[in-house]
This record gives sequence, C-alpha cells and structure tokens, in this order.
Amino acid sequence: MAKKITIATDWLDTCSGCHMSLLDIDERIVELIKHVEITSSPITDLKHPPEEGVDIGILTGAVSNTHQLAVARQMRERCKLLISMGDCAVFGGICTMRNFFGKEDVLRRGYVETESTDEEGAVPRSDELGKLLDQVMAVNQVVKVDVHIPGCPPPADAIWYAVTELLAGRTPVLTGENLTYE
Amino acid sequence: MALASITIDGRKITAQVGQTILEAAQAAGIDIPTLCHHPALEPRGTCRLCLVEIEGQRALQTACTYNVADGMVVHTESENVVSARKSVLQMLLSERNHFCMYCQLSGDCELQSLAYRYGLDSWLYPRAYVPMPVDASREHFVMDHSRCILCRRCIRACKELVGNYTLGMGGRSIDSMIVADLGVPFGDSSCISCGTCLQVCPTGALMDRKSAYRGIEEDVERVKSTCAACSVGCGIELITRDNQLLRIEGDWDAGVNKGVLCVVGRFEPLFDIRRRVLTPLMRRDGKMEQVTWEEALDAVADGFKQMDAPSLAALASPRVTSETLSRFAGLFNRLDARSVATLKPVPSFLAEAEGSLVLLDEADLFLVVGADLAVDHQVAGIAVRRGVRNRGARLVLIGEGQNEMADLAYRQFKLDEIEQAIALAQDAQTPVVIYGSAAGSALPALREALEDEAQFLGLVPGSNARGALAVGLSGSFEPDGVKGAFVLAADDEVDETLLNKLDEAEFIVAQVSYFGPLVQRADVVLPTTIWAEKSGTFINTEGRVQTLNAALRPPTGVKEDQEILQALADRLAD
Repeated sequence: MAKKITIATDWLDTCSGCHMSLLDIDERIVELIKHVEITSSPITDLKHPPEEGVDIGILTGAVSNTHQLAVARQMRERCKLLISMGDCAVFGGICTMRNFFGKEDVLRRGYVETESTDEEGAVPRSDELGKLLDQVMAVNQVVKVDVHIPGCPPPADAIWYAVTELLAGRTPVLTGENLTYE
Repeated sequence: MALASITIDGRKITAQVGQTILEAAQAAGIDIPTLCHHPALEPRGTCRLCLVEIEGQRALQTACTYNVADGMVVHTESENVVSARKSVLQMLLSERNHFCMYCQLSGDCELQSLAYRYGLDSWLYPRAYVPMPVDASREHFVMDHSRCILCRRCIRACKELVGNYTLGMGGRSIDSMIVADLGVPFGDSSCISCGTCLQVCPTGALMDRKSAYRGIEEDVERVKSTCAACSVGCGIELITRDNQLLRIEGDWDAGVNKGVLCVVGRFEPLFDIRRRVLTPLMRRDGKMEQVTWEEALDAVADGFKQMDAPSLAALASPRVTSETLSRFAGLFNRLDARSVATLKPVPSFLAEAEGSLVLLDEADLFLVVGADLAVDHQVAGIAVRRGVRNRGARLVLIGEGQNEMADLAYRQFKLDEIEQAIALAQDAQTPVVIYGSAAGSALPALREALEDEAQFLGLVPGSNARGALAVGLSGSFEPDGVKGAFVLAADDEVDETLLNKLDEAEFIVAQVSYFGPLVQRADVVLPTTIWAEKSGTFINTEGRVQTLNAALRPPTGVKEDQEILQALADRLAD
C-alpha cells in the first residue's frame, strides 16, 4: 500500500466554523482517509504537526497574537504545502475589526468593561499567554501560503475539491460556487 | 451615420463612428467588465476595470471612454489586460472594508462579482485599516464610507440626473471621500433624498434602511408599475420578497422619469406607519365591531336603499385606477346620487391635459406659477434642477408665498409684477410655463401674453385626477342635504375639512385601507387594497395612460376596489 498523504490542521483566531465546514464533507471523509492520514488537528488528540513534517498543512483563522504567530510558523516549517482556509486566514476577516482600535483598548473592553464582568475584572498578563499583536493579519502576511480557500466558511465542496485536486497532483483553482467570500 | 470596421477579440465588427469601444462591444455581445460605468451616466473612466488592449497603442485604454476608429484591433481579455484588471481589483480591495461576509450587498455587489470573475482568492497588499465614518444622518438611507470605492457614480447621478450637485469629492489620495456640499453630514446638506445615488451605487456603501439585509436579487421579485404619489406618474419597479415590499426603484426605461424618483415616491410608502384595516367594520351602538363581508355589504345596501338618491354623495380618491373610477361613477350615477365627485377638486383651468414633461429637458426658461416643485410633482422639479444647473436654463417663479425652489430661481416675482416675468419669457428661445393648482389668478395674463411664444405644462393635483375627470368625476361636491355618503379613499389621506362637510350625514360608508379620521366617522368600513396591490391604469398629468401592476397580494380579509363595488352594485340592483 502506498504511503498515505499526511495532513495537519490547526486553527488560529477563528470561530472554528471552517473546521466545521471541513467536517461537512460528511461521508466523503471515509473515502478521504483511504488516501490521507490526518496527523493532528484541534479536534483530535494530537494538536501539533509531527516534527518529521506533513505533506499538507491547513490553517484557519487570522493571526492575532504571538501564540498564533508561533503556530503559523511551526505549521509552515513542518508542511510541504500550506493551505490558508476561510476568510479570516485568507483576508484577516471579521477579526480585523479590532485593527481600528489600540490593543490595550481592546483588552480593556474584553476583560474589564464587558457587561458580565464585575469590578474584579482585569486584563490577564501572564507570560504563559500569547500577547496580542498590534494588528490582526491574514496568514499570508506572516508566512508563505500555497493555496487559498476563502469563504465564511468555505463550502465543504470547495474544501473537498481542493484536497482531491492536490491528491491528484494538481494545483486547485477555485471557480464558480467554490469561490466565495461569504 | 459613418461606420467603422473594427476587430474585437478576433471578431470583425461594424461599429458606428462616435461609439465607444464598450458600446461597440456590447452591441456585438462581447462582455467587457465595468465598474464605474453606468448606462444612465456619462462615462468617466475612473475605475480602470474596462481596460482593453488596442494594437498599436502604447498603453491600455478604458473602453468606456475610447472611441472606435476604422481598422482598430482590440483585445478585451488578453494576458496584459487580465493582469491589469486583477491589479486594479487588488488595489480597490486593499483600501477600505471589503469583507463581504457582513455586507448587506454581498451577492449583488459589482466589485465582488468582478473579484469572482477574475478568480481572486487572496489579497496581495496589506490594508491600512483607516477608520471611516458611517453617515446615518439621513432618514431613508445610510452611507458607509468604508465600503465606498470612489467610483463617483453617486456624484455623477446627483449632477447629471438630478441636477442637485450635493455630492462631490473631498480630500486627496488616501483621504479622498465622497462629501455632501462642503463636508457637512448628508442630513444637513442640500440633499433632497431622491435616492438616485442609492440606486446606482455598485457596492454596499449606500444602504437602504428598509431593504438592507432583507434579500439579494435572486431572492426577490421585481414588478414594473407606476408611482401613485402624484400625477407625474413615474415608472417604478417594486421589489418584493414573500409578499413584503422591500424597496422601490426608478424604472430606467420609463419615458416620464428615466429612472429618477423623488423622496415621496421612492421612500415614503416604505415609511408609512398607518395601521391597515383588515376586516369589515360596522358601528353598532356607537362601537366599531368586526363583521363579515356579507353583513357589511348588506348593511351598506340597506342603508342606501332607505335613502333618497338626492341625499346621497359618493366621493372617490384620485389614487385609485381609472377602471375602478369608471365602475364607481357608473354605480353611483345609475343611483342618481346627488354628488359623484373626487376627494381632490381639480380647478377648471387644469381640467384639460396640456403639455409634455419632455419639454422640461428642452426649455431654456421655466416660468413656474402656482406650484412648488420641491414639494409636489418633485420629479418635474428635478427636471427643472437639471435644466437650471446643467444647461443654464433660467427659473422664474411667480407667486406670493415661499417657494422651496427659490434657491435655484433667477428671479422671483409677485403676482403684480407678472409683466416682468412675461418679458423674461419673451426673451427666451424655448420657454415653458409650468402651472399648478394655485395658478388661477396669473394664468389668463400669461396665456394672453405668451400663447404663441411659450409651451404650457399643467400639473394636476391627485395622481389619477385625469382618470377621474375622464369618467366625469369632478371636484364639485355639494354637501347641503347629504344624508348618506360613500367615500372610496383606499390608501389616500382624507382632508379634515372635507370630512367636516360630511358632519350632517347620518350614514357614512368608507372603503379604505388604513385606520384614520375617516374610519372614526364611518358607520360601515370596507377594507380595500393599497396602491401596490392594484392593477389597472392611471392617466398622468400629460394625459399619458400608464399601467399599474400589483406587486403584492392583499392581506386576507381585504377585497379589491372593483370587487367591492361590484358586490355592492349587485345588492343595490335587487
């Protein structure tokens, strides 16, 4: 049996809808796993792409903080071909709404001024946590991206099309219903 | 006309000299993408999307502004052209907020559709994230500058189609913005809220408050009809979804208005907050009660049968179709009613249609008497604005009171200064006298002096007043001795002074669409359709017969005008 194509996925600043769309390929996933091995993903036990690398890396979500920047860079280092999936990964998406405000304003609004926060509310400052970047960015603003699949979320068919094209050794070109920004 | 033989994408085409490459291509069925271009506006070449390659030319040229020449060889989708278009799109997308997923126009946006057409799956340039204001200072529509691509369609529409010159460009480079007047909020500007800019905006920058997010083109239905707001009778399209009116647009093909509407026609029907009457009502022991159609119609027939014909008055709104008015007049004339009239009296000097609205785009002087075209017949007023500001025509106002068109006027005269106005008209080449219902005292003098030198255009009050006059319904209502009254108001507002004249009537029947003062006085209420639910014809002020097509189904319990009149006629004939 031929060696399976390995795929790793991860999410950055995202609502996780793109991964839901990935699952929306439904029973086609049975066909898919005959040909590919999903080594790691946010919705499986293994979270990090293996050190020995994968064939295809998939990132969803925008790059908002230092943690996500590290995740994006690690994925780039460990995959041969990187897919940026969904409007946030491709364009920055709705996450970039905070680019109109200073990051301290954003943190204060989120952790101190929220209606559900009592007077003890404070911005968490632990070194364990990623720090917000000045600007939210699309994935291709921080690492090289090989294939873009926009959409909020991308249709399951577009994801299926892109992956099957890659398995067939072709570069996917999204057209028609598969190319959407919404 | 001289012809030019050109080649577009390898196809030999015979074009007309004077045509642009875009026009020649469109005529031949070749699709060149455009963005700032709009068929109703002068080409400007600002967006660069229609770039084409012309053999022998150093640079790419905009097809919308470049004229054909004999022997020209044009390529519309060559590698060069496509790469230039993609980079134009990339630059347009890099500037402001072009995230489609939360934009009200997504699905109908021309920028989005071009990005799809050229397969853009990512953005090349970093974005600046410059905060942009949202101007919501106007009642009917909103400007979100962050969605604007500065194509200037709105500016050109305001100037070329409306002659209002409210919109312009402010700032330079990255600070360029669409501004109103000298940069004031739209709501405080000279904007007349005609909404023409809204109708031509290619992106989600201009937003209709009522229809935003309620459905894109593939979800909605469009029905062409005629505006019932006044006797100009503009061609409109009613845009509906699931039997809800979403918005009204001007019909670009309509001869009367060529796509332009006014605030009254475009927006006011959507902002109507009157409550609909949904069942027949009858007053019993002083209290209004819901009854069946049978009970209501029987009560009306019984009431009228007990009355002598000479004590019966029948009044109809000129906002219903000619067909309804004809049936109405037939029914009550057969009964020998004392008065059969309309709710809006038409002065005798306006009884005959005179002149054509087309004159307004040819005149070099407008002499307006007894009318305020910024308030009534606004689309005629817009034609005057175009004439004054785009062609240098003069506006001369005659009248005593304040006139909202005064800002545009060359001179304004009182009645006793009419000779000066006449002198100005006599000096003009193609003067038009526009007269409204308050023109009575000035008109004879104008006719005498200008009969041979000027064209006259009469603007009649009441949308289908000409339809009413055509079936013999005048405004002469004789209230003395009226015991019973039938008022077909439909969706029209009924004047309080007219209602007061019915004070002595013992039995009032109202065929209406909305609750209001008339329902409060009525003994029987028959709920009927509103204008958007009616099919039939109107006759406009010029005497042009125009078609109304129902875009909405009437709510359950409401009957159509003619069905009600027929049911009543059947009962009264027994």
